[in-house]
Amino acid sequence: MFGRLFVKECKQTVKSLVYWVIVLILIFDFTSQLGDTEIARKPEPGQEEYGYKSSHDPELIMKSVLGELTEEYYRESYTTYPIGFYKNVTLNEEDDRRIAGILKEAAGIDGREAAGQMVEDWYALQQETGTLGAAGEEIHREPLKVDPAEGLTYERFGELMDEADEILGGGSDYCKEYRENSAKVAMTYEDALEEYKTLTEKDRLTGGYARLFSDYMVIFLGILPVFLSVTRGLRDRRAMMQELIYTRRCSSFTIVVSRYLAMTVMLVLPVLIISLVPYLNCVEYAQRAQISIDNLAFVKYTFGWLFPTIMVVTAAGMFLTELTDTAVAVLVQGAWWFVTVFGGIGRLGGGMYGWSLAPRHNTELNWQGFHDGFAQLAANRLFYTAAALILTGLSVLVYSQKRKGRLKIRGKILANRKSKSEA
Amino acid sequence: MSTTIKIKHLNQYYGRKQALKDVSLTIRTGMFGLLGRNGAGKTTLMKVIATLLPKSEGTVSVCGRSTQSAGEVRKIVGYLPQEFSMYPNMTVYEAMDYLGVLSGLGKAERRERIKELLERVNLTDDRRKKVKALSGGMKRRLGIAQAILHDPKVLIVDEPTAGLDPEERVRFRNLLCEIAEDRIVILSTHIVGDIEATCEDIAVLDEGSVIYQGTVPDLVSMTEGKVYSAQISKRELELLKKDYIVTSMLTLGNNVMARFLAEEKPFSSAKLCEAGVEDAYMYLMHMERGIPE
Repeated sequence: MFGRLFVKECKQTVKSLVYWVIVLILIFDFTSQLGDTEIARKPEPGQEEYGYKSSHDPELIMKSVLGELTEEYYRESYTTYPIGFYKNVTLNEEDDRRIAGILKEAAGIDGREAAGQMVEDWYALQQETGTLGAAGEEIHREPLKVDPAEGLTYERFGELMDEADEILGGGSDYCKEYRENSAKVAMTYEDALEEYKTLTEKDRLTGGYARLFSDYMVIFLGILPVFLSVTRGLRDRRAMMQELIYTRRCSSFTIVVSRYLAMTVMLVLPVLIISLVPYLNCVEYAQRAQISIDNLAFVKYTFGWLFPTIMVVTAAGMFLTELTDTAVAVLVQGAWWFVTVFGGIGRLGGGMYGWSLAPRHNTELNWQGFHDGFAQLAANRLFYTAAALILTGLSVLVYSQKRKGRLKIRGKILANRKSKSEA
Repeated sequence: MSTTIKIKHLNQYYGRKQALKDVSLTIRTGMFGLLGRNGAGKTTLMKVIATLLPKSEGTVSVCGRSTQSAGEVRKIVGYLPQEFSMYPNMTVYEAMDYLGVLSGLGKAERRERIKELLERVNLTDDRRKKVKALSGGMKRRLGIAQAILHDPKVLIVDEPTAGLDPEERVRFRNLLCEIAEDRIVILSTHIVGDIEATCEDIAVLDEGSVIYQGTVPDLVSMTEGKVYSAQISKRELELLKKDYIVTSMLTLGNNVMARFLAEEKPFSSAKLCEAGVEDAYMYLMHMERGIPE
């Protein structure tokens, strides 16, 4: 019965307008973001530039981190990622004074006015050097760098930054994990060649591009599946089919899980098909460059990176729709997605995946970052897979209760609204 | 296996409101009518039998299976709710096929049953039509077909003739009678004519209580010798309404031919008539609430 119902549900999904809108958005997402991506060429000696890389030079780290602290202190607004999610922190007077004290000790900057002067000077310099456009838009931002106070050791710097991070509630740019990755330096030809070798040898080309593909697709997959699960959930009520289905012998588990599986499979299918485009690009390049690729990389990343997001968004939408018989899941998922997308802004380069619903890695490079953050990424993806399974289980429970005439939450909501309006 | 539905001391509550009050019924094979005004508790009772509502108190067994074992009861019950439709963009055949899968029927069995049932409800030529393109009567017939798709021992139909034109209504009643030959069919309605034309056994519900259970002839016999008709003026009609239960009126110019219930002959021009189900139903309802003095 399960298999037959699964096929029927897949057919229903294919006939749904919402499904095809989702497919079109995914195609648009791919073509607009990745459609003209060229496969990275082998660097040649004498190129104008080779990009940037992280530096572990303590002096440079101190300058970069203090530059960031000066700017945030001046703007009285701090970006943090406690438990992996974006948070904007504004401090009270006492904590603001403590940050001012840290900045004075670490960089000799005394007060907001002095910090503001440094930021303004840096901004003016950016415009002069052409790194900011006429209207202030960023062309290539050279981050503000502030020299540490004379005699400040790297150890004391670390202590002060830990304190600043604690004041900000954790997950700020000043915690050890982030500050050690904050300094960037221009790459040399040798660096670029090394990175190219990593991409073609360790990542076997397709690994890097599958990550980049996942990075763009995961953004929309963090929201779109909810529309499918909500419309599917509400379709029975709108078509007045609920009681016809409730009185059938089929178990609630079979009904709910077959629907869930059909939706997730039908959502991952277009992703797999779209991934054929970058895969074929890689194949073509690999043939010319005489390198070997991982032919299954896009499949692995689709299921390892993207599928848990599809699973949990679909399951959350299904659960909330079954529970309330309303489209409230769209609002909830919209808010979650908004927080996720903003939360990912500071982590685009990859390696810092946290517990984000949509882990970002906006480059085909940075294999090392991926490698270092892999354990966190795996934990993240397993967590969301488990959450999806739990939500699906809860949906089965809610569905079976509704079949028995229990859990009529929608009726209660409407009755409550009616009584309020009557009052 | 037992072929009866046994309901004992069933009480049903919606919060503080009691929808069913100590209902006890035994329903056997054939057409069984549930009669009562809107809000009498008919739909609640049917939903309890169909396992769509958990019973608050009492016992309900359907062909020997307790409604607490919902899965077991669902195997043998077909249900046509009062308000129903199907996925509007599915064709008649697709909708039946989908529900057939949910009923656990295999592919060959579904194909055979759907063909047979669509023929029976006269929808074979419309099998490729989308559900949204069907008329009210066609939808009701499709509703019956889906309800007996898995050949249930019990068929529950809630207000099935509401909104149908007279021809469709007669066709629908006949269809139910055919289906009831070898199973229990519970027909809930507030339309007395539906019961009169189809059911032998009935129960009348009023404000959640069973106020009558028995055969239709027995119900009718309650009003034998109590149904009169008289041609009276329109002014006299108002006086008649105050003292008697008027069950029907036919205007004849300035006069009215009134049919009414009275314990004994009320005046010389009144003529004794043969009692009908409608008269008996009205008598019963007013007995419960008190005959006008």
